[in-house]
Amino acid sequence: MTALRVLAKDLKLHARDARFLATLSLFSLSLVLILSVAFGPLFRDPAREASATLWAALFFAGVLGLTRALDLESESGGGEALRLTGADAFSVYAGKATANFLLMAALWVLLLPCAAVFFDVGNLSIFPALAGVAVLALIGYAAWGTLFAALARGLKARELLLSILLFPTLIPLWIGAVKLTHALWAEGSIDAVRDWVKIMIVVDVLGIALAAWLYEAIQEAEE
Amino acid sequence: MTLAARDIGKRFEHRVVLRQATLELQPGEIVLLRGPNGSGKTTFARILATTLGADTGTLTLDGKPVRRALRESRRAIGFSGHRPLLYLGLTPIENLEFFGRLAGVADARLRAARLLQRFGLEEFSAIPMEHFSRGMLQRVALSRAFLPEPRVLILDEPYAGLDDQGSGTLNEILLEARGRGAASLLVSHDREHMVSGITRTCVMREGAIEASA
Repeated sequence: MTALRVLAKDLKLHARDARFLATLSLFSLSLVLILSVAFGPLFRDPAREASATLWAALFFAGVLGLTRALDLESESGGGEALRLTGADAFSVYAGKATANFLLMAALWVLLLPCAAVFFDVGNLSIFPALAGVAVLALIGYAAWGTLFAALARGLKARELLLSILLFPTLIPLWIGAVKLTHALWAEGSIDAVRDWVKIMIVVDVLGIALAAWLYEAIQEAEE
Repeated sequence: MTLAARDIGKRFEHRVVLRQATLELQPGEIVLLRGPNGSGKTTFARILATTLGADTGTLTLDGKPVRRALRESRRAIGFSGHRPLLYLGLTPIENLEFFGRLAGVADARLRAARLLQRFGLEEFSAIPMEHFSRGMLQRVALSRAFLPEPRVLILDEPYAGLDDQGSGTLNEILLEARGRGAASLLVSHDREHMVSGITRTCVMREGAIEASA
């Protein structure tokens, strides 16, 4: 129940922050539009360009999303009060990670049709497979991002530290997501790049395992 | 014995803030901690409330080290500090219900509504708190600290921002808490509004507790 309560609280805070939601969606939509204009109108490899654009937009939006989530916990000490409730640390982590996952999943749902239309790729039959790729990538993003956001909280250069930690960790996930999305849009199958699924699962599991082990210690070491 | 801090030491970078600060809070006590600005009162209060770790010394609750049973200890201690420790994007009732339920309070919403009513905030209870005044935030912050009816209350400048009515309500609730055996530590400079049932006054100077009267 703790995880569900934390999830509901985080989603409510995001939903009420219209300025943040508008910034996040306009920023990522603009990126998709600008890159589609830059690569077009005659695309050399639309599936490749579309998948790279989609995941680049999600990458930068993801950093924005995590930074905002971090601010919500820090700005008036809500995160500190959360610790003082004595709630189970991993449940708190699970709730926060799920909220981060759902925020990015919503953004993916918004950006996917835009990328498909602007680059003229894809069809509805591969949507479940594309959603599977997104789930794999975004679980890792949420698992690692939530952990690193807790690590950076309370530090003066927290946004910088968050980026420094997050970028190298997400690279294998994002390369995998680009390759798998490209394969699906180009060939309708992931057979040629199937190994990336295993790599992404390993990164996801590592992130969750590390959080289960370290999140409480990180939370307590904030000050 | 309820909460006991012995020989607490704390430094931030090269500045020593606390030097062997020692204090015990007994059930039913209301202890006032005074001292000049910068003497370490807030740091000491935060260590007692477990939001900050001490470098040296021991903190025990009923004789057991707090760090060994952190979850249970935190549920026994209510804390209000300089920051509101609330989510400003949520309404007062949502904040109190959220923190109350996480702290294991069964009827959190009902208790939250009662506390907000006592602090005169019922008409603001469903409004997100981004534009609340300092005094309104303080009332919600105090409600959060009182909500689980903790055995120990650590209140750092609880009268800050409160008007006469708010201070009066705070004092009523403090006396009720004393009546059920809770121990309270007030860190405050506000003598005008101070609760009448102070059982002991301690003075902190240069990171150590000098006198207890």
